[in-house]
Amino acid sequence: MKAILTDTTKCIGCRECVVACKKTYDLERDVPRRWGTDDGLSARNWTSIIEKPDGKFIRKQCRHCIEPACVSSCPVGALKKTAEGPVIYDSKRCLGCRYCMMACPYGIPRYDWDQPVPYVRKCIMCYERLLDGGQPACTEACPTEATIFGDRKELLAEAHRRIKENPDKYINKVWGEHEIGGTQVLYISDIDLSCLTYGRPLDDKPLPSRTTAAMHAVPYAFVGMGSAMAGLSWFIGRRMKLQGNSESDTKDEGNE
Amino acid sequence: MNRVQNFKLILWTIIGVGAAVAAARFIFGLGATTNLSDAVPWGLWIGFDVMSGVALAGGGFVITATVYIFKLDKYHGIVRPAVLTALLGYVAVAVGLLFDLGLPWNIWHMIIFWNPHSPLFEVGWCVMLYLTVLLLEFFPVPAAEFGWLSTIRNFLIKLRMPLVIAGIALSTLHQSSLGSLFLVMPFNVHPLWYSPIMPIMFFVSAIGLGLMMVSFESRFTSYLYRKEAETELLAKLGNAAKWIFLLYLLMRFGDLFLRGQIGHIFAGGWQVKMFWVEIAISAAIPLILLSIKRVRTTGAWQWVISIMAITGIVLNRINVGGMVHLNRGDTFYLPAWTEITITATVVAGAALVFLFMVERFNVWEVRPVDPKADPSTLPEFDYASQASLGRPLIAARTKYSLAFVFAAAFGFMLLSNQSLSSEGVIAASVEEARGGDTLWVDGDLDGYGVSFQHQMHIDKNGNETSCVQCHHMNLPLDENTGCYACHRDMYIPTDAFGHDWHSSPHGGNLSCFKCHQEDQHKNAETAQQCDHCHDNLYPAGATIKVDNYHAPGYVDALHELCIGCHVKLIEETGSPDIARCANCHNDQRDVVEAVDGTKENILIGNVALP
Repeated sequence: MKAILTDTTKCIGCRECVVACKKTYDLERDVPRRWGTDDGLSARNWTSIIEKPDGKFIRKQCRHCIEPACVSSCPVGALKKTAEGPVIYDSKRCLGCRYCMMACPYGIPRYDWDQPVPYVRKCIMCYERLLDGGQPACTEACPTEATIFGDRKELLAEAHRRIKENPDKYINKVWGEHEIGGTQVLYISDIDLSCLTYGRPLDDKPLPSRTTAAMHAVPYAFVGMGSAMAGLSWFIGRRMKLQGNSESDTKDEGNE
Repeated sequence: MNRVQNFKLILWTIIGVGAAVAAARFIFGLGATTNLSDAVPWGLWIGFDVMSGVALAGGGFVITATVYIFKLDKYHGIVRPAVLTALLGYVAVAVGLLFDLGLPWNIWHMIIFWNPHSPLFEVGWCVMLYLTVLLLEFFPVPAAEFGWLSTIRNFLIKLRMPLVIAGIALSTLHQSSLGSLFLVMPFNVHPLWYSPIMPIMFFVSAIGLGLMMVSFESRFTSYLYRKEAETELLAKLGNAAKWIFLLYLLMRFGDLFLRGQIGHIFAGGWQVKMFWVEIAISAAIPLILLSIKRVRTTGAWQWVISIMAITGIVLNRINVGGMVHLNRGDTFYLPAWTEITITATVVAGAALVFLFMVERFNVWEVRPVDPKADPSTLPEFDYASQASLGRPLIAARTKYSLAFVFAAAFGFMLLSNQSLSSEGVIAASVEEARGGDTLWVDGDLDGYGVSFQHQMHIDKNGNETSCVQCHHMNLPLDENTGCYACHRDMYIPTDAFGHDWHSSPHGGNLSCFKCHQEDQHKNAETAQQCDHCHDNLYPAGATIKVDNYHAPGYVDALHELCIGCHVKLIEETGSPDIARCANCHNDQRDVVEAVDGTKENILIGNVALP
């Protein structure tokens, strides 16, 4: 599976990745809008640079989770996890329920709030370019190789190698290696990246598994409740009959 | 029976305003008509119309179970209104959803594109199936009026037990699946609400809410139609509801305790206060009041308890539905008036259909009669003019229609407001660039700007002759007018002409015909151009031609000015860096807290292109 590794220590904040992304998908110019957020992502900015103190920059984009919450929650399967890794979006299927936006722990999917026919917008890791054997526009455009593209296993090895070589420089953690089952956009950094999850600590349990138990219980709950009600009805009816007060209350009303 | 007519008049007025808002919703989109945002994608329409609508319709399955499964015949009188309330509740859910969905015309996709892992998929199917079941359950009531429907009616009555059982099973799934919706968001939902057993808690609270809703609806319609209230029956329902509330409270607190989150109830923050308010009015106070026999058998208390519990459980649904999500940096959401209007309209519509059904069909044992609507009564006269106002019922219809039309007009009037900007761009006025040889260009004064080397650009572009390459227009009686004078907003195009100033006695004090021809329509196309009067607006040799007086936003104007030249410079210098964003936007800044507590942007260095 393909992946992206972003090394925030190498990022100079030039925003070439942002420009490359916008050119690739022909995204309109964006301006601060009422429904915007301060991380710079929007329906027209699928990747953004967050500025941190002391000249640190963090690139934000879809994390392409290995077990994505958005894909599991979309009622019509408009979001899809591809074999190559990217989570892609089929606007023809979408209803516009925005459950994916609610489900994403990173707050990635954004909405065309200003359009009468709105779609969900997010990074799709340049899926078409990947199919043609290329790499995403952002990693290609990066002048400092702060964000690179490759195989997830190799990039993880590279990340650990960099941390090992410079243990004083990096925080000993690869963001995206384990959280919520792992993501395909990985980060190594010299500053804490908890702002990517709005300060909320994530655990390693994949999010779709949280609903699995409830969803598997559905057929049993339906059949169980149905037969319990049928049984109760029969039992109570029979007891009333035996007790002699068998005035049927369900039949007479039909003939009124 | 003026109570009923006045109530319906209010409902029609709400629907009138709602019709105007509904039109705006579909023409301008969600951004223009809601306060939803990327940080708060679900709001009132999901929290109230859908989540609470389903819960409020819970009376249907609770009462059918009581009467047909547990065979408690004394509740038979309230089965039909309860089923009707449930049916209309579900229709309201579906209609409310159509407003909230971005692409409502794709709603049928749920039938053909399946994702059985999604709780929302389950919710969608439950709505469809249970709505069908409710229609079939209720159909015999109106069908009794039409002889030719008797075959279907008798068939449906035979099917009653399977329908009731299917309805209860579907409700179980549906009420709980609304809780399952939020299982996937363990990090978003506040720990006081998030629990793996949310589906079960939603189901239990729906039973309590269903009982309270039946109670409220019975009391309200009794008041409306001056019918004798079913106080004794409602007291028995209240007695049953008491146990449900107790069970619900035990589950909420037991769950918090077992998950080790109980400490949160003593923590600070508005969410915790919200938790206590919700617990108090959704279950704790109703439980206490219902435990006192004298209270639950008193009519006035029944009003209080039912309204309180309904508000409380609706608050719970709104809280879980988005209010207490630890979202995206404390974004606060308050519904827009347009959102509230649509919600009110959906409720008003359901209420009108309910009243129609009650008056037209045998929903109750006794059909309410409007004495004034009786055709045998004489026409009403307006005694001043002796003009006949027609039959009272017709007169009422005229009244409703008028209310609707005027309300719709009023709604459109409210909508013509500036707030309906579907672009959502936040206005930011522009300040002058400051400095000398190096200008600090930061139009909106946010601390992020460009250090523009003015002198260097003059030197490189041919000294005195270079001014006109950028300064393409001067205000009258001015030279070297700065960009900010016409491009007055960061992002929104602004009017560089000023029609009102030219015509005002306090400004130009010009007559119309100074610019407009006498025999032509007065518009921008036929008016004289500015240089008709002002011969010095455009400096000689200006490279940028002004073709209209809507000056683009400051950012657009400057980007267009700079980027074109810089891209050309790539070939001359052979370096692509000169056209990169960071070539100009190279300041690295840091927000620093000053001694007096204010935040300042301090320049800490430059981005160095590799």
